[in-house]
Amino acid sequence: MDNESKWSSIRIAIAYAAGALLLGGYAFWQYLMGDYGRILIPAILALLILVATLLRLALTTKARLSAYLVLIAGYLMLALELPQLNDAAPFWAGLAPLLTLLLVPLPPAILLNILLAPVWLILVNDGQLDSGLVLGYLALMVVAALAPWEQNRQQALLKATDPRDPQCNALAKDTLDELLASEYQRTELLHQPLAVLVIHLPQLEMASEQFGIRARQSLLDTLCWEVNRCSRRHDFLGRHSPATFWLVLPDTSESGAQMVQQRIEQAIDRTVLVDTGPLRAPTLLCQRLVGESWQRFEQRLQTLTRRLTEQ
Amino acid sequence: MQSKYKVGLMRLNLLAAALLLALLAYQTALSASALLLWLAVTWLTVTAALLEFSHRRPATFPWQLLPSLLLAGLLWTDPERHSLWIWGWPALLMLPQPGWILGLTFILASFAWWSLIDVLGFEQAIFSGLLLLTLMLLGLARNLQLQPLRLASRQRVRLAPGLPLWTAHQLATDLRRERARCRREGVHGELLLLGTSRHLLWPLAQDLCRQTHDFESCYRLNQRTLAALLLTRDPEQARLRRQALLEGLRTPVKARFTFLDVASSLDEQLARFDKQDSVLVIDPETDHGQ
Repeated sequence: MDNESKWSSIRIAIAYAAGALLLGGYAFWQYLMGDYGRILIPAILALLILVATLLRLALTTKARLSAYLVLIAGYLMLALELPQLNDAAPFWAGLAPLLTLLLVPLPPAILLNILLAPVWLILVNDGQLDSGLVLGYLALMVVAALAPWEQNRQQALLKATDPRDPQCNALAKDTLDELLASEYQRTELLHQPLAVLVIHLPQLEMASEQFGIRARQSLLDTLCWEVNRCSRRHDFLGRHSPATFWLVLPDTSESGAQMVQQRIEQAIDRTVLVDTGPLRAPTLLCQRLVGESWQRFEQRLQTLTRRLTEQ
Repeated sequence: MQSKYKVGLMRLNLLAAALLLALLAYQTALSASALLLWLAVTWLTVTAALLEFSHRRPATFPWQLLPSLLLAGLLWTDPERHSLWIWGWPALLMLPQPGWILGLTFILASFAWWSLIDVLGFEQAIFSGLLLLTLMLLGLARNLQLQPLRLASRQRVRLAPGLPLWTAHQLATDLRRERARCRREGVHGELLLLGTSRHLLWPLAQDLCRQTHDFESCYRLNQRTLAALLLTRDPEQARLRRQALLEGLRTPVKARFTFLDVASSLDEQLARFDKQDSVLVIDPETDHGQ
């Protein structure tokens, strides 16, 4: 994952570097043409993009900063050139919205595009607006925004089908239900015992109200970390509802499950968090009885969970 | 809840885009470009109507081809009037799409740029071409950012809806986990490899999934090989299970059962399976193996 994010910043840095090279080349071209007054600005902007490239490589966590630097350089160059382009100006104006969409996340990009659209259109035509140009420009702006929309939608979809809970290191509810059902079948067929430890986190709701998102996150992280540390490798922790967790213990006898429960309770009792104080997480054990059907077992588990949360 | 909200906003953008393109088409004199624009309007409207939060659409049809072709068509038919649309190419590259369409987009973009050379004049054409290339690199970089997420999802996603059939990548992970678990629990586990012909693979996969329990996963390794992890209490039961399983399947070309405690890596098992001549091999060889 880390390697991959490194590669993705290298790819973006390559694109930035190509942009810097292009502006540098443009400055050199002006020098060759003898137009000395128009060398300085592209040369400075090329340097600015070069700085952004290096920033992108050095500070991978601050990708926005370098993106905005490149965007500013692009905007400035375009704003300076547009009034001098005459006939070709409408063509180059289409560059502005695309630059925004490619560099900046979608919501600020749409805002910037809408705010700056009149500026670009006025720069193109020296004050007089041509309806055909306005329409073409706006259409391009709105249609091109669909690509990042689709990209965001796909990303949200991929996150939604993730078997892990998005907020903490536990399985999501659907995956948990599916796995519990198959573990039930498996342990029954192989004549093994099965136990589920229900864990409730009563502080969760008030944590976000009183202390904010960060306190809530640290509560979740601590609980998952402690439970995962105290359980065995083949046990799996899933999030049944926002504040209740099920720890499924396959092939575990009653005494074994009690031992796991005791270990987890001890670990939780020792834990004190900065905002919320001592961690509180009452637990209940649900052991499958001999000959108990899936419906009965599931029903009992649900009842136990409800009883624990209503305490 | 939040995802629905986002889809609603995206639908709004789709409809706004369709409306603006319709106005543009109305103003366009040339019939060929107007036709292309109306096509785009129709497509965007239909997409807005069908848009939903699911994986279904991208899997079935390479729809990313349509906007590429429409854009190329627009730039070919009327390069003078619609020249600014050339900047749309980098945005198209941002769409999630298979590799060959990415390549095709580059080719179409270069043709579209070629048709603009006369309109722009040599200097500006060269500069705009290089700039376009740079922006396309940027679009590609933004597209590839999502690649690891997409790959991870493809590896964990079930291969067909309703069938508990997983990928070879998943088997490599499950094999290690299951071997350790069987040893700990004292359960008898076996890796089954099934070879068949290409067109019989999917019916056989359905049979296999039906014959196995929910907790025993099945896998499709390649176009003619299936696999499954089978669990029983002891070797004697495993023998009965093997018989019942093979009787319940459409005759596979060959089958190989390997006990999990002797099963090495998946690659090695597959190599042995490829070299296997007989119809059925049970590894290690037992006295009452068939």
